[in-house]
Amino acid sequence: MSAVRTEDAANGTSTANGGGGVKCEEGGVTVLRPTDLSEMLAAGTKEVHQKAENTEFVKDFLRGRIRKELFKLGHVALYFTYSALEEEIERNKDHPQFAPLYFPHELHRRDALAQDLQFFYGSDWQTQISISPATQRYVQRIHQIGKDEPALLVAHAYTRYMGDLSGGQVLRKVAQRALKLPASGDGLNFYMFDNVSNAKAFKQLYRSRMNELELQQDTKLKIVEEAVLAFQFNIEIFEEIGEVGQTLEDDVFDAAPVHGEMQGDISQCPYHAAKMAASGGSSYVCQIAKTVLKNPSGQVLLAAWIAALAGLAAWYLM
Amino acid sequence: MADTQPTEMMEEDEPFFSNLDLFLFSLIAGLLIYWLIFRKKAEPIPEFKKLETAAPTTRDTSFIDKMKKTGKNIVVFYGSQTGTAEEFSNRLAKDAHRYGMKGMAADPEEYDLSELSRMGEIDNSLAIFCLATYGEGDPTDNAQDFYDWLQEADADFSGLKYTVFALGNKTYEHYNAMGKYVDKRLEELGAQRIFDLGMGDDDGNLEEDFVSWREQFWPAVCEHFGVEATGEESSIRQYELKVHTDLNMNKVYTGELGRLKSFENQKPPFDSKNPFLAPVTVNRKLNKGGERHLMHLELDITGSKIRYESGDHVAVYPINDTAMVNKIGELLAVDLDTVISLNNLDEESNKKHPFPCPTTYRTALTHYLDITNSPRTNVLYELAQYASDPKDQENMRKMASSSAEGKAQYQSWVLDSCRNIVAILEDLPSLRPPIDHLCELLPRLQARYYSISSSSKVHPNSIHICAVVVEYQTKTGRVNKGVATNWLKNKMPTDNGHKATVPMYIRKSQFRLPFKSTNPIIMIGPGTGIAPFIGFIQERGWLKEQGKEVGETVLYFGCRHKNEDFLYQEELAQFEKTGVLTTLNVAFSRDQAEKVYVQHHLKNNKEAVWKLVHTDNAHIYICGDARNMARDVQTAFYEIAEELGGMSRPQAVDYIKKLMTKGRYSQDVWS
Repeated sequence: MSAVRTEDAANGTSTANGGGGVKCEEGGVTVLRPTDLSEMLAAGTKEVHQKAENTEFVKDFLRGRIRKELFKLGHVALYFTYSALEEEIERNKDHPQFAPLYFPHELHRRDALAQDLQFFYGSDWQTQISISPATQRYVQRIHQIGKDEPALLVAHAYTRYMGDLSGGQVLRKVAQRALKLPASGDGLNFYMFDNVSNAKAFKQLYRSRMNELELQQDTKLKIVEEAVLAFQFNIEIFEEIGEVGQTLEDDVFDAAPVHGEMQGDISQCPYHAAKMAASGGSSYVCQIAKTVLKNPSGQVLLAAWIAALAGLAAWYLM
Repeated sequence: MADTQPTEMMEEDEPFFSNLDLFLFSLIAGLLIYWLIFRKKAEPIPEFKKLETAAPTTRDTSFIDKMKKTGKNIVVFYGSQTGTAEEFSNRLAKDAHRYGMKGMAADPEEYDLSELSRMGEIDNSLAIFCLATYGEGDPTDNAQDFYDWLQEADADFSGLKYTVFALGNKTYEHYNAMGKYVDKRLEELGAQRIFDLGMGDDDGNLEEDFVSWREQFWPAVCEHFGVEATGEESSIRQYELKVHTDLNMNKVYTGELGRLKSFENQKPPFDSKNPFLAPVTVNRKLNKGGERHLMHLELDITGSKIRYESGDHVAVYPINDTAMVNKIGELLAVDLDTVISLNNLDEESNKKHPFPCPTTYRTALTHYLDITNSPRTNVLYELAQYASDPKDQENMRKMASSSAEGKAQYQSWVLDSCRNIVAILEDLPSLRPPIDHLCELLPRLQARYYSISSSSKVHPNSIHICAVVVEYQTKTGRVNKGVATNWLKNKMPTDNGHKATVPMYIRKSQFRLPFKSTNPIIMIGPGTGIAPFIGFIQERGWLKEQGKEVGETVLYFGCRHKNEDFLYQEELAQFEKTGVLTTLNVAFSRDQAEKVYVQHHLKNNKEAVWKLVHTDNAHIYICGDARNMARDVQTAFYEIAEELGGMSRPQAVDYIKKLMTKGRYSQDVWS
């Protein structure tokens, strides 16, 4: 239901931007090819793009709050996703509605992800990983459209490749530092697009190729809808990983090494900060309780009080 | 009797019930007491630790007090998202000790930066800001509060001395916005900048930018505060020299960039660390007259498995001139065939050697080091100690300083006079550094990139290069030669019976023809900027031969004189004849009194240009000089959009920008 509403909103936004925005901006000037797919996609995915960037997983990642287990799970999800995407791309590489966007040497990520997973899990990594429910749904969708409607592959390629090409430069450094990965780049091959010498220029080339696709207007609208769906699938994966993070949270943050790594500076501990924020209202009561309990005799008093209360209750019942 | 019996029954039941109830409740109470005590005993310990630790942190937001307590006079604030700015800050803080100062790195999120106004309370104090720009010109998370406060601040910073090093990436629109803003804003608030804003570009080499800036920064600080480096005048070496006297020559590098012997045993894939030795099959002069030498080369890639696309670049590893290398050996009185290694003194460093070792001085100077460009100021600073003439030493240190006089001297004596390291050694006879330190300081010799001037469809096993030989006379009367083009010029197909080879690899470019051959294209490439367009036109010709429909193919070429440097004139005429090239416009800039350039021809053909661009979805390509030609051509397009599109200038600028974003206005330009 939420997804459907998002799609409607996105389409609405797209129409508004496509029509009113451009018209106002250009004044009396003839509109510059308003049906260009690259512009439709940029407008149509703007809202859901921001939503994806604001998931806890992504925000924590950008702040350098990365747990290695979650990072590995992210890589596993990406491996299955890109394996499916690139399998369908290879099957459809000569399809007229995808061929202009076939850039295997520049973009293919599966092998790089495999190298990273081997680094993280060892040589038998393939037996140690498994596909998660959210990733499974995403993979199924990719295979389905690869078989039934190859033109929609554009939406998934656009969503994943352009995002990783841009964001990858920042994410790689964040991950390397936060996880203390080696400077040689092990574990981070996924972020290295070795055959793209200029990311900005490549994205411009990619947009130019998207706009060369010969598509009907309704197909373009479908591609925009599919791109919104692709973002939604990615958001679901982020949220799924975030939930795994919840179960890890207590174990990880209560352990001494976490505090130790902060060199004893509690204010730097994100868990501490969150906890203080959450329990701000009751801090006074907690303070009193702590003060009482700090004193051994206080503990004795509490025990006695509870015993007295128990006795009173027993008497009342009798 | 009946009355008596009920009474007895009630009496019997009641004690049983009461006892059971009491027992159960006591058990529960006991468990509850035990659980609560156990829980309370366990839980408070970590919380007490947190509480105790938090309080001192809150109190200690004064970096001024901390600096005074610890005797620091330099504070380095970092705005860091990926950790690089923090790393640089720590390095700067450590550096301070070499100069008799004490530094500390600080997170601006942890301190009250309004205290910057109190910096004057500390003698010889200095604040350094290492600031990264994040996202769309934004501060990093930990610098957000500082940035917000600075915008509203109405403080008096007249006691503050500062400098800024900015970290950014040129591919982003708001390049180093954060660093630039802080640098300007602090000055507005009365602070004194004691060294120039440093600009780190992660799209290039951020580390190199930082090291270069740093090596000029500290001399400026010392000069400003009137202090000398502590103890030894000599700098701290990074590498240690080891001379090999009995090493097996099979283990000595002969110019390889990666794997030893990779030039003898060539194995794909070929890349920057493993270049392919491509034989030169054609090397011919292109121009029919004039003093310059424009040339066309063909490199044979048969058997290499190298693939390329029209518009890609070929990277070539040049070799320095033998005469220059020998001159260095002569000036420094060194046997260049000595086998050496330079080993990093920092054993934990990833960089074991400045260039592949073990090798000889001759090989290092020939293959690995840049000896033709003017040295940077940090090299002069490090070498100054070796000048036995005090005047030479003083001049070198001055040129490496940030004083206006020093900068002017460096600009005129080194840069404007185009002095390279050989010229400097010749003109300063008292300067004779150890050759190993010189090798440590000189930057690496970089690959040169040329736009490929052939199509792989027509020439799958051959890569063509179009280049002009760089050669000019300097103010000192010397003739300086471009290292790569002069080396290529002498690469004849048959050289004393051996094949002349060129170490090369392909750098993929995003400068590509449209996927659909029916899309019209407009190519603008004066001089050697025509290079990628020869490949483009060859490819469209090949497509036409395949029976494909090919859209309009328009070329604007410019040169000086029709009878001298009209490059590829015969080839272009042939393409025009077969209809592959639908329109050829040539601007001869010096054949008449009034100079005519490609942008003038664009304006003269504005109706046709506008129709192609605005109505027919043409793709525009520009290749050549970035500083003048590309800018003038872009201006011409603005003017055409204004005149024929009825736009204002801002609208025209936005129109062209949109074309760029959508990949319909591509540039392959250099400065």
